[in-house]
Amino acid sequence: MKIQRDFLTAYELPRPARLASNLYAACFPLMKLLPARYILERAKADGKLLRCGKVAETTSGTLGLALAMLSATEGFKLTLISATSLMDEPLMSRLRNLGTHIEIIEDPVGSGAQRERLTRLQAILEEQPDTFWPRQYDNPDNRLAYGKLAEWITRAFGQVDCLVGCVGSGGSLCGTGEFLRDLFPDLILIAVDTHHSVLFGHEPGPRLLRGLGNSLLPANLHHDLIDEVHWVGALPAFASTLQLYREHALFMGPTSGAATLVANWYARAHPDAKIVVILPDEGHRYQHTIHDRAWLAQQEGWPVRLPDAPVTLERITERSESEWTRFAWARMPRKTDRRDIDSS
Amino acid sequence: MIWKNPAALSEAGSGVLGIGDGSRLQVGVGRAMGHHGELLQGVFEGEDGRLLRGLVTLPLDRQQSLATFWPRDQGEIRARPPDRKKAARAAALTLAHLGFSRMAGDLTIESDIPVGHGYGSSTADVIATIQAVGSAAGVALRRSTICRLAITAEGASDAIAHHDQAVLFAHREGKIIEHFGGELPPLIVIGIQTDFSPVDTLTLPPAHYDHQEIEQFRVLRGLLYRAVRQQDPVLIGRVASMSAHISQRHLPKPRFDQVAQLANTYGACGVQVAHSGTLIGALFDADQRGIGTHIARFVRALERNSLHRITAFTVNVDGGILS
Ligand SMILES: Cc1ncc(COP(=O)(O)O)c(C=O)c1O
Repeated sequence: MKIQRDFLTAYELPRPARLASNLYAACFPLMKLLPARYILERAKADGKLLRCGKVAETTSGTLGLALAMLSATEGFKLTLISATSLMDEPLMSRLRNLGTHIEIIEDPVGSGAQRERLTRLQAILEEQPDTFWPRQYDNPDNRLAYGKLAEWITRAFGQVDCLVGCVGSGGSLCGTGEFLRDLFPDLILIAVDTHHSVLFGHEPGPRLLRGLGNSLLPANLHHDLIDEVHWVGALPAFASTLQLYREHALFMGPTSGAATLVANWYARAHPDAKIVVILPDEGHRYQHTIHDRAWLAQQEGWPVRLPDAPVTLERITERSESEWTRFAWARMPRKTDRRDIDSS
Repeated sequence: MIWKNPAALSEAGSGVLGIGDGSRLQVGVGRAMGHHGELLQGVFEGEDGRLLRGLVTLPLDRQQSLATFWPRDQGEIRARPPDRKKAARAAALTLAHLGFSRMAGDLTIESDIPVGHGYGSSTADVIATIQAVGSAAGVALRRSTICRLAITAEGASDAIAHHDQAVLFAHREGKIIEHFGGELPPLIVIGIQTDFSPVDTLTLPPAHYDHQEIEQFRVLRGLLYRAVRQQDPVLIGRVASMSAHISQRHLPKPRFDQVAQLANTYGACGVQVAHSGTLIGALFDADQRGIGTHIARFVRALERNSLHRITAFTVNVDGGILS
C-alpha cells in the first residue's frame, strides 16, 4: 500500500465500486478536495497566495468544505460567502470548527443569491486585495486538477468508452473528460444536470437538487465536449441515492444518485461498453434530508417511482422535479440563446 | 567469476570489497543494450510530491555495447576508442566504489550502437563498463548501484540497466519513480531515422512542460501501468503516441505527422520517438494474426514516401520472428 504524503492526499482520491458488469463508479468522500488543493497549490507557486494568506470564495457546497479542510491543515485564513437557502446547520458547524469565517446573505426566494454573493465577494477583494479568490467556475486549474482522476481511471480501468458525471462548474466532467479523450477520441461524455439550471439552456428557477446545475454559465463547462445531456429532477435523484445505499451500501449524496441513474440506464443500453460514473460526495451531510424518510415524506410528489428511462427531448425545456429528460447534445459549442438549441 | 576473499567484505574501508590490492582483480566483461528512444518521457510526481523528469525506455537488444576491462595496478584508465571518456570515468568510479581506487586498467568498448540519434550509445557504453569492472572484481552489482554510478559518470542516464522491465526512471537522479510490475508486452517496432545529422543528446536543453502537459503525463503514467499489467500493446501505443505528440511541441521531428499517419493506416498500435533524438518507431502488436503482412505494407509505404532509413526489431518476443 502506498502511504500518501498526508491524510488529505489519500482522502482526496476515490474508491472503486462495480455497479454492474460494465459499470464502475469512482466514489469520492469529497471530490472537491482535488480542485481545492490544485488551485491553492498553483496560487501559492505563482505568488498569488502567500503563506498563511487569505482565501475567499462564494460557495456553500462541497468546494467550501474542501477549501476549509485544506486551509485548516495549510494555515490559510478562509472566508466563505453563502446564502440562507444553501447553508445547512451540520455543514455550518463543520466549517466553523475548521476555523472558517462564514458570511451569510439573505435569500428569501431560495435562488441561491449567486449575484448577491459575488457582489459581497467583490467588496472583500477590494477591501483586502491580498485575498486569493479560487474562482472555481472560471479558473482553468479547476479542470486541470482532474488529471489525478483521469490517472486513477486509466490505472484502474484502462480504456473507457463512456464517462458520466454531474455538472456544476464543469470542472470534474470536462477536466477528466478532456484528459481521457486526448487518449480515446471516441469516449462518450454524458453530462448530468437538473431542471431550471442554465448550463444547457434551461430558464433559471428554483432547484431542489443542489450541488449540480448552475444559475450562471461557468467557463469551465466546455459544451463542445459533451455528447449527451440529462436533466434529472430532484425526486428521481433522491430515490436513486437511496437505491445506491440499499443495493450497494454506498452512502452518497444526491448528485451521486442522479449520476448513477443515468449511468445505469446507459450501461443497460450498451452492454459492450465500459462505463465509469463519477460520484462526488458522501451522504453524511444529507443524513437529515435525503437519507431521512420523514423528511422525504414531506416533499411534494414523494414517493416517486424511478423511471426506467429518460424522456428524449426534441427541444430543450424544463420539466417537473419528478421527471428525467435527455437531449442528444452532440458536442455542440456553447450557445447562449436557447432558441438556437433544438434538434431540428 | 570466483569469489576471492569474502572476508574482505567485513574489513572494507572506502569501498565494498577491496583493500586496494589489485591481485584479486582479473579480466572482466560487461554488456549493455541500446534503446530506440522512449515510450514515455516527461515530468512525474515522485514519492515526496516533487516533480521529477522521468522516462520509460524502449530497449533495443540487437544493438549492444561490449566492454572489456583489463586491470592494471599502475597508471590511469585507458579507453579504446580513446574518445569514450565517460566510460573511462565510469570505470574509475566503479573501481573506487569497490574499494580499488588505486587500481587502473585498459578498457575496450566494442559497440554497434550508432552515436547521436537517440539510441543511447553513450549510456550503454557506461553501463557495460560498470558491469565489466564489477565482473573483474567478481561482483554482480545491483541495478540501483549501476544506475547511480552511471548518473555520476554521465550526468543523466536511461533505464537500460533495468533491461526489459517496465520502469518509470528519473534519468537525472538515477532512480526508479515507479516500477510498473512487469515487462513490456510483445512488440514489433519499425524504426525510422528521420534526419541524417546526429544530435548531441546530452547537451539539449531540457523541455519546459506547461501545467496541462504535466497533468497529461500523470494520465499517461496511469495508462502505462495498466498496459503493462494487462500486457496490452494497444494501450502502450496510445501512451507512446501521446508522449510523442507532446514531444513534437518541444523537439519537433521532421515528418513525424506523416509517419504517424501511415502507422495508423497500416494497423500500428501507435508511434514512439527518441525524445532527444531523431528516431520514430511504429509499434505493432507482435501477437496479432497476420501482422507480418501489415508491417510489410507499412514498410513499402514508407519507402514510397522516400523514408529509407528503416530498421526492425522486437521487444519481448519469444523466438526470432524477424529474419
Ligand atoms: C455534490 C456535488 N456534486 C457534483 C458537483 C459538480 O461538480 P463540478 O463543479 O466539477 O461540475 C458538485 C460541485 O460543486 C458537488 O458539490
